[in-house]
Amino acid sequence: MSDALSENGSEQNDSQEELMTPVELIAKLEEAWLNEKFSPDLLENKSEVVECVMEQLTHMEDNLQRVSKGDMKASVHRMEIDRIRFVLSSYLRSRLQKIEKFFPHVLEKEKSRADGDPSYLSPEEYAFAREYLANTETYLKAVALRHMPPNLQAVDMMKAVPEPCLDSFVFLRVKEQQDNIMVEPETDDQREYVVDLDVGSQHLMRYRTIAPLVSTGAVQLI
Amino acid sequence: MDPTEVEFLAEKEIVKIIPNFSLDKIYLIGGDLGPFNPGLPVQVPVWLALNLKQRQKCRILPPQWMDVDKLEEVREMERKEDSFTPPPSPYYMELTKLLLNHASDNIPKADEIRTLVKDIWDTRIAKLRLSADSFISQQEAHAKLDNLTLMEINTTRSFLLGSLNCMFKLRSNMQPGTSTGKGPDY
Repeated sequence: MSDALSENGSEQNDSQEELMTPVELIAKLEEAWLNEKFSPDLLENKSEVVECVMEQLTHMEDNLQRVSKGDMKASVHRMEIDRIRFVLSSYLRSRLQKIEKFFPHVLEKEKSRADGDPSYLSPEEYAFAREYLANTETYLKAVALRHMPPNLQAVDMMKAVPEPCLDSFVFLRVKEQQDNIMVEPETDDQREYVVDLDVGSQHLMRYRTIAPLVSTGAVQLI
Repeated sequence: MDPTEVEFLAEKEIVKIIPNFSLDKIYLIGGDLGPFNPGLPVQVPVWLALNLKQRQKCRILPPQWMDVDKLEEVREMERKEDSFTPPPSPYYMELTKLLLNHASDNIPKADEIRTLVKDIWDTRIAKLRLSADSFISQQEAHAKLDNLTLMEINTTRSFLLGSLNCMFKLRSNMQPGTSTGKGPDY
């Protein structure tokens, strides 16, 4: 952030984003898509990737406006845009589904995050989660709670909505070598042991064990 | 994940086609393609190859592994070994399906290839069932799954992960509402 350009508010691309080629950008989006699809918990938001992809798409669509309909090149470009748009929407949709499923916990996590830590939710997702919580509460009150005796009218959303189950198993592929990953035993008579995750190898294990590796990008969920 | 989404990922694989039209280089967001010259082989992603084929603008060259002799070898290996042998391609099942359904006239001995790939698939899925069974009965917490393709993982995913979660819940004897499971009644 020492770059003088990035302090300039009108400059949209900061230096970090410009280093990424569109090819890498699309690969990043697909990575984020698969990770989000398979992780039991909501992952950090990747709004910079989403914004860059959106920018690429609108830019390309603007260019296509100027081309005649029957053009062969344009049809290829349009097909590519449709494919990227599919990944993008599927990614955002799977995030929204998780927010709907775990909204009190997502909001709690957001509230307890220290200043300066990156946010888990994009501003739009945060607004969505807040609204979803308010609407659910209003709804419960309107249909049932107000008919209850006064001592039963409060509902603790944190307890009413199940937490994401971090102990789920996930499939993963290793992208950066990781040694000595602790595997906790399933039963009491087994002992814990360590495994090495070699680059390119594939594994099935609990999400809790490798959750930090997913956010650093050392492993890819599949 | 839906099988069609695995197919979507397989469509990113590169195949060679022989176009019958000419076109300059195309600068796609995901990389450059072309230039296309009639009769000269060029590499494109499968999604484009299939589209061009459907519009009768190209001939698809089958990938190197899609060959009766090579696949027979793979099948023998797969039957001999107890563990999974490296698949002919990380998307062999999807690509076989896509290419044979849309471009079987470009692929020599298409029917034989279809049978061979089906044989390989069946052998591998049988092994997968067997190892999933021993994984569960030995209550393992970690499994290495090298050489498994995404489609193979995907066919067993929801069933295997669902049962593992169920068993975990039964074992861990958790209070309702603290984690997993359904929340208590409102």
